[in-house]
Amino acid sequence: MEQLTNLVISDRELTFISSLLLKLMNDTNATSAMLIDKSGQVVHVQGMGTRRNATTLGALLAGVFSSSREVARLLDEKDFRNIFQQGVQENIYTSMIEEQWLLVIIFDKLTHIGLVKVLSKKASDELGRILERVRTDTTRTKSSVINLQFRSSVEDTIDLLFRD
Amino acid sequence: MALINIATHEIHCKIVYYGIGYCGKTTNLQHVYKSINPQARGEMLSIATETERTLFFDFLPLDLGTVHGFRTRFHLYTVPGQILYERTRLAVLNGADGIVFVVDSQAEKFEENVQSIAELEMNMRRIGKDMGNFPFVMQWNKRDMPTALPTMVLERYLNRRHVPSFEAIASEGKGVFATLRSISKNVMAQL
Repeated sequence: MEQLTNLVISDRELTFISSLLLKLMNDTNATSAMLIDKSGQVVHVQGMGTRRNATTLGALLAGVFSSSREVARLLDEKDFRNIFQQGVQENIYTSMIEEQWLLVIIFDKLTHIGLVKVLSKKASDELGRILERVRTDTTRTKSSVINLQFRSSVEDTIDLLFRD
Repeated sequence: MALINIATHEIHCKIVYYGIGYCGKTTNLQHVYKSINPQARGEMLSIATETERTLFFDFLPLDLGTVHGFRTRFHLYTVPGQILYERTRLAVLNGADGIVFVVDSQAEKFEENVQSIAELEMNMRRIGKDMGNFPFVMQWNKRDMPTALPTMVLERYLNRRHVPSFEAIASEGKGVFATLRSISKNVMAQL
């Protein structure tokens, strides 16, 4: 299947995503909740602890997930939908949404993993519906951002910044 | 897949440097990291073995600043070049918006380069991307080596798609930014 070349997230959908992550974080008493694209790009973060390192975390967590899918294939498993990383202080629970996004919950020992699993599943279903709308809206919304002027300005910036 | 976040006014794109072991992928990123305006880059992350070979990937986030109200970011990745890490390369390729294929120009590496580019084409098919209209550039690296093949030969056998190509000596920084400029523009043109 040919993949979309980009995803455009509107104000409206980001507001939904933001409040959904906040609710999930509060209900599970997690320290952070993140939504990342499978390419490693961060869509949104809730929780102060991870904001500073969000870009690097996004790249690494997407890498871990991608790598685990390859492990699954070697075991003739379709894929691993969820990954649980257990630390001494902090734990990470990651679940895949519709082959495109990853929902990441970072929580400490005060939160029970069972609660995180159940509420992540519920949030994933809602995020799946948002993703569907984002996919549908992408082509229409993109033209409002990526126009000729933008392309020309970005080329100038590239010439200015990427030089010997 | 590029991510355009209208609410936060951000655009994120992923560029992957692909090629055989020791061809200079990490060296490209290291040169960009040390030469670019520090305000335009984040920390470079390398997941390497004890002998400094790339185990999983290198990662360098670049920030072009605000263009027409949108903060534009490129995330550069390298894949591990060693043959046994084929599945890891596939994992890193996931969601890429553009690819730089770094070629070790030395004659003794020619066959490995041919195999690597065939593997890349196969991996792209696996993740559902059509190389025919995908942002893709070639870099003929290690031009200073005594056994470097003429670029005409490399073009004929490795650049069958006739994509933009650049001569480079990444260890001296030559050709590194020319390559990056080309792939970045190519990626933006495809958005």
